[in-house]
Amino acid sequence: MKTSIIKGIPALVLAFMVGAAMMGCEKDNRTEPKSVLKGRVVHEGQPLGVRSNGVQLELWQYGYQLFTKIPVHINQDGTFAASLFDGNYKLVRLRGNGPWTDNTDSIDVQLRGSKEIDVPVIPYFVFKNERYAKGEGKVSATFDVQQVATGRTIERVNLYIGTTTIVDPNNNVANAQQVAANLTDLSKPVTLTVNIPAAHASRDYIYARIGVKTSGVGEMLFGMPQKIMLK
Amino acid sequence: MKKISVKIFVSASLLFLSGCNDWLERKPQNIILEEQVWNDPKMITGLLANYYDRLPAHTSLTTGWAEFAAYDEAMWSNNDDGRNNIINYPFDRWRLWEYGLIRDINLALESIDKYAVKLSDAQKAQFNAELRFLRAYTYFEHVKRMGGVPLVTKQLIYDFSGDPSSLQQARNKEEEVYDFIASELDAVKDLLGNGTSNTRATKYTALAVKSRAMLYAASIAKYNNLMASPISTPGGEVGIPAARAKDYYTKSLAASREIINSGAFDLYKTNPDKGVNFYEAITKKSANREVIWAQDFLVSKDKRHGFTYDNIARNVREDNLSSSSITPSLNLVEDYEYLDGTSGELKNRNAGNTDYVYYDKLQDIFANKDARLYGTIIYPGTSFRGTEVQIQAGVKVWDSATSAFKTVESNTLGSNYEDGGLLTGSSGPQRSQTEVSNTGFYLRKFVDQTAMSSTRGIRSDMWWVRFRLGEIYLNAAEAALELGETADALKYTNTLRERAGFPANSLKTLNLEKLQNERRVELAFEDHRVWDLMRWRVAHEVWNGNANNPDAMIYALYPYRVVRPGHATHGKYVFDKLVAPRFRAPRFFQMGNYYSSIAQAVIDNNPKIVRNPFH
Repeated sequence: MKTSIIKGIPALVLAFMVGAAMMGCEKDNRTEPKSVLKGRVVHEGQPLGVRSNGVQLELWQYGYQLFTKIPVHINQDGTFAASLFDGNYKLVRLRGNGPWTDNTDSIDVQLRGSKEIDVPVIPYFVFKNERYAKGEGKVSATFDVQQVATGRTIERVNLYIGTTTIVDPNNNVANAQQVAANLTDLSKPVTLTVNIPAAHASRDYIYARIGVKTSGVGEMLFGMPQKIMLK
Repeated sequence: MKKISVKIFVSASLLFLSGCNDWLERKPQNIILEEQVWNDPKMITGLLANYYDRLPAHTSLTTGWAEFAAYDEAMWSNNDDGRNNIINYPFDRWRLWEYGLIRDINLALESIDKYAVKLSDAQKAQFNAELRFLRAYTYFEHVKRMGGVPLVTKQLIYDFSGDPSSLQQARNKEEEVYDFIASELDAVKDLLGNGTSNTRATKYTALAVKSRAMLYAASIAKYNNLMASPISTPGGEVGIPAARAKDYYTKSLAASREIINSGAFDLYKTNPDKGVNFYEAITKKSANREVIWAQDFLVSKDKRHGFTYDNIARNVREDNLSSSSITPSLNLVEDYEYLDGTSGELKNRNAGNTDYVYYDKLQDIFANKDARLYGTIIYPGTSFRGTEVQIQAGVKVWDSATSAFKTVESNTLGSNYEDGGLLTGSSGPQRSQTEVSNTGFYLRKFVDQTAMSSTRGIRSDMWWVRFRLGEIYLNAAEAALELGETADALKYTNTLRERAGFPANSLKTLNLEKLQNERRVELAFEDHRVWDLMRWRVAHEVWNGNANNPDAMIYALYPYRVVRPGHATHGKYVFDKLVAPRFRAPRFFQMGNYYSSIAQAVIDNNPKIVRNPFH
């Protein structure tokens, strides 16, 4: 008798779990948001690269009792996407967050179904004419840095290399940098060369990415990651 | 039969009724009434103990102690790598909204007024002052993290009218909160009794809090406005006008001077060994006139903590688990100057950087350093509780074929090399193991020397020093420097340096950078570093998230024994500096970290609350 009860325990537990799961359905019967807002953060029509998981926009919706922002994180290639309910939203460029000038004007978004928008920003510095090259055990990048918004100075430029397409100050295997003191003339192209660490020398390819840091702005602005074939 | 039952019923009811009065008016055995509490000094003192215990802290020996490893004083060498891999500090990291405690203090203040009839006026005034002191300190903890917060000084009671707007109070300005703290402390300082206690608030505790709070307010007023774009909100909830700086510095200096000149406290100078003396200045609980306000513990009353269990050096641990959690960085070690006044960088390579510098003994590389280094950090060649803390990463074996050293390290702590000598020390450092230092250093400050205090069964009753005279000297020096009274600033700083082994008048000139370093080395692991960097508005530059910035990385020092038989350097020691192998992400402090974010639920409940900038 006793053994048959013990043997029955797993079946009982299973029955309870199935029961609990089915009962849970009733409370969980709202439909998920199906509309999608997609977009890019752009300057002169070109998306801007940022740090992965670093920069966010915020969405606000009026007309409800609680007024809470929906943070929308920007992917490292400057795109973003959010699943939402249909409605009217205000998209806000959070001050002091991205590597661009503050703009407190909100953007009205009327979402019905799905929508794609461009969010224009004015960055402090942008890259032009990026060219990547590989050498013996090294990767180099040559590019122009152009100041767009005035009022802040350049702090440094970096070339990061990494093993995956996500490349930034926290995700890299090596980097090279040039500080502001050596960047007095921005009309000339800048060249950065980074040595590939011995541990990664035998790889088939590596990703490289350039970034520029503005003084007094936490986040850097990046170029697009570039896959460099080493073999 | 029937009659009998009626008689019984009647007599029983009589019995019951006659008992009524007493029975219903018995005092409850399990509830203490307001009148009882507020008329009994012992019960009020018990309540005060509870409030002292609940005072907020960012890092102390019991609250958030692990966060000592989240900045640049140390890294984490125990299990998990969270604090070595902080991609960026979250915006809610220092969030505090402790209105539960503030409400309890407000309630106590009102209840003493209402119920206390048996207390003398002096007793009432004393309790009132102590409660107001605790409230002022709690507001200081809020304002340094959140900026201006609503100053609630009375109980807020809901009238059930369906409209809670009378309870919704907007944020006060940042300067208003600091002014409130100053005026409250001024009002209560002469009413606080408590004699020479260093665990309950006295006149000097109030002055010490004022000294620190006014210094914070002053430096925010000055340095926030020197930023390219000062952090502020239109309503002044965040940001203090630059014009207030002088006033705040003056108030801070006056408070510091009153403590220093009172003669109530002395810098601890009992032990002739300056290094041990500095350790004792913070950890010795008797005959120590330096400590102004501490949070005390006592093993015999079961008031104890596991700080020593978690942080003791590996080979002197008495338990079979933990140890080595907070391991100081080489960055901090090198900030301790040499006693001749030269910069504290350790000389591990020769002048031309062509070869190592060879040392006879492990500790020789640290010779003639600021004695506070010894009192704060266990470094190679030193001991703890009389046992040598064996710190050696491995051996450097000379390979004559390549004319270079080959590095040999072991995964077994305390193992020997094939020549019979030590290979890797029983306290590491080890590149990948947990529960052993990853930086080559261990914490000494606040780690208890008492036998068995690093066991889980007994634990430690080391106290947590909230304020001590050493800090007051540095507060005075900084305020004096900012006010242009350089001679006094030098005097205060040099007094403190003399205690650390420097000759008299070791500094001839002073600037803020010098003082910043002085605070870093004197007050390491006393919950100052992050707040100091914030109020000077340099945190975002020191911890800028750049792996090429040595300040944002944690460095380690790995000692090796030289194996080169027949050569003059055989058996000597060399040192490698490196980024600590378990350290992952450079420290990254953003503008949005200067003031922590306010919880969404708080804003939902009170729409008058303004968000902090950047959130």
